[in-house]
Amino acid sequence: MKRSSLLLVSIMLLFSMFLAACGSNNSSTPSKEGETSSGTETSTEAKKDPVNLRVFSTFGGTDAAREAFQGVLDEFVEKNPHVKIENDTMSANDDGFRTKVNTDMNTGNEPDLLFYFIGTDAEGFVNAGKVVPLNQILDDNPDWKNGFIPSALELARQKDGNIYAAPLTGFYEGLFVNKKIFEENGLELPTDWEKLKTAVTKLSEKGIIPLSVPFDQSHYLIEHAILSAAGPESQAKGLIDGVDPNWEKGYAAMKELYDLGAFPKDAATIDLSMAGNYYSEGLGAMILEGSWAIGGWSEETRNNSTVIPFPAVPGGAGSGNDIVGGFGTGFYLSKATYDDAAKKDTTIELLKFLTSPESIQKIATANGGTPAADVEVTGLAQVALDGFAMAAKADSISSPVDSKVSQETFSNLRSNVQPVVTGKKTPTEAIEDAKKTEDANKN
Amino acid sequence: MKGDRKYIFTFLLPAAVFMSVFLYYPFFKSVYLSFFRTTGFFDKKFIGWDNYKRLFTDELLGAATLHTLEIMLYVIVFQVGIALLLAVLVDNISKFKGFYRTVFFFPVVISGTAISLLFVLVYNYNFGLLNNLLAGFGIEKILWLDESNALRAVAIPTVWHYVGFYFVLFLTAMSKIPSDYYEAAKLEGITGVKKTFLLTIPLIMSDIKVVITLAITGTLKVFEFIWVITKGQNGTEVLGTYMYKKAMVDQNFGYGSAIAIYMVVFGVILALVANRLLKRDEITY
Repeated sequence: MKRSSLLLVSIMLLFSMFLAACGSNNSSTPSKEGETSSGTETSTEAKKDPVNLRVFSTFGGTDAAREAFQGVLDEFVEKNPHVKIENDTMSANDDGFRTKVNTDMNTGNEPDLLFYFIGTDAEGFVNAGKVVPLNQILDDNPDWKNGFIPSALELARQKDGNIYAAPLTGFYEGLFVNKKIFEENGLELPTDWEKLKTAVTKLSEKGIIPLSVPFDQSHYLIEHAILSAAGPESQAKGLIDGVDPNWEKGYAAMKELYDLGAFPKDAATIDLSMAGNYYSEGLGAMILEGSWAIGGWSEETRNNSTVIPFPAVPGGAGSGNDIVGGFGTGFYLSKATYDDAAKKDTTIELLKFLTSPESIQKIATANGGTPAADVEVTGLAQVALDGFAMAAKADSISSPVDSKVSQETFSNLRSNVQPVVTGKKTPTEAIEDAKKTEDANKN
Repeated sequence: MKGDRKYIFTFLLPAAVFMSVFLYYPFFKSVYLSFFRTTGFFDKKFIGWDNYKRLFTDELLGAATLHTLEIMLYVIVFQVGIALLLAVLVDNISKFKGFYRTVFFFPVVISGTAISLLFVLVYNYNFGLLNNLLAGFGIEKILWLDESNALRAVAIPTVWHYVGFYFVLFLTAMSKIPSDYYEAAKLEGITGVKKTFLLTIPLIMSDIKVVITLAITGTLKVFEFIWVITKGQNGTEVLGTYMYKKAMVDQNFGYGSAIAIYMVVFGVILALVANRLLKRDEITY
């Protein structure tokens, strides 16, 4: 008897704490908009129940924005002392983090906020209803919504028309060129295919790596070769409805470059970071990379670099001014958290804070990405400004081809780079091979 | 004795549960998944034996199997061979035995990934250790990881990493041989190399058999050296890396599971064959 009453009392105590937590949360939400600390607010803060949140992102390891992101989280915790944030990160360099994210989402171990790709990569957990659409929350919080550039939000839409991810910074990819090496060798910037060929031939003779790319992690090489050969429309269609013969021209172009000696001698066994290393150390004159790579290079290389679109492959459908880029990632809010009354409001607050113009500015300054808010990013290297200009002037901006075909098809395209350039397979065989994988995947 | 049975089961239970959860459940789940066509984590479709049919027409899998067998050959010949040689040598010295034992065992303690990263820098074409040495002698740089060399180049750290483990097993086996055997041999005038081949090796034959079985099954698990040093490029793809690529990179868990089942069957067959070939009467002292 005595024991059960004790239990009852403790349960009631627990309940009252929950109620108190809800109450104080609701009352503090409006006052937060202004972010001014007043005496009354601190007293309500003190009553709040501790909330533990897990934020999963790729801002870890060698990511240029790692410290900036941690700084933003710390700032939020400072303002909301009852919140504890676990900054769960994994490097985006390998494919391991996709597995982690999908396992987490599939096994009921969802992070409260997830920073992940938008598009095909997210289709699995979006369709399974593991994350909530942000449309309503955005409409309810006009301040937050108006902080974004409208086009950034548009690009964050999934196929079903809903916005599930709040964008932070965008990216562009392009042909980064070490201007100093080009000047020293009396070469023009490779703005068209002939100039690229001339540059490759001359640099290769001199013993400088013309284009530092690996064969296995050849993501950027494939993305650019296919985009510039097939053009943005055909690239967007992927392979599911049939093969556009222009795709083969992209692979033929890689072979042409290989035969001129464009790639590192050990391209078959190096990885992306080693290829980046060659460029950073001035051993390579050009590299295909994304805006995020700029921060990782040596200062000298960074200051000598500029970025241009990959030139159009002759006979292809590309214009020579099409680039790969977009707002490919954003913060997802998990359904489990949204349904958890104890976490919901705090998590939305955190989401708003992380994607506020101030935070976006900080992250964009660190990683050189295009900000999703209308803020000015200062202190960037010239090459990053060149990148923004390139993206602004581009005829078209396409998301990378790996988001247009299945993962396995893209692996297939990757593994066929070496056989094609060394002449073991024809470009036609390579694309047909990929088409087979794509068909098998959609069955 | 009969009353003990209850306790025996009680104490065996945790281990049995542990094994079931972390070994048998995943294994049977793999068998189950191998009959599905999976796309990512949220979508799967029953396709019967299609994944198994694909195994037999997959050229890359055939190549991966051959590469695994080639590494297995190197492992049996060099890893077991060098371990045996070192064990015989160390067994025959009287001083510094402990020192050598530690020195030879040490690589086993280092993680394979760390050793692999080390070898990435040894083999690198542009600023690797080997090519820097060659440059010092004025010799032209060599592409160590090209198509004709890559598998052997990766086999070197693979072999080297585990020599120490088998070395310790051999040394322990040798220390168990009673000394009166050697005394009798000494009276008969058998010493040196003859003693090793006629006495030591036949007496530890059962341990050699165990080591060879371990080496065979261990080779099927080779992963990190290949993954870090060559990523399976230039003819170095082995079963472990191929399975990982199919399951984790391509997110085709169905086919990845089928490859895993294939690896298990392949390993069991190899181990049985090896046992049959090495069949001998057990020696007891």
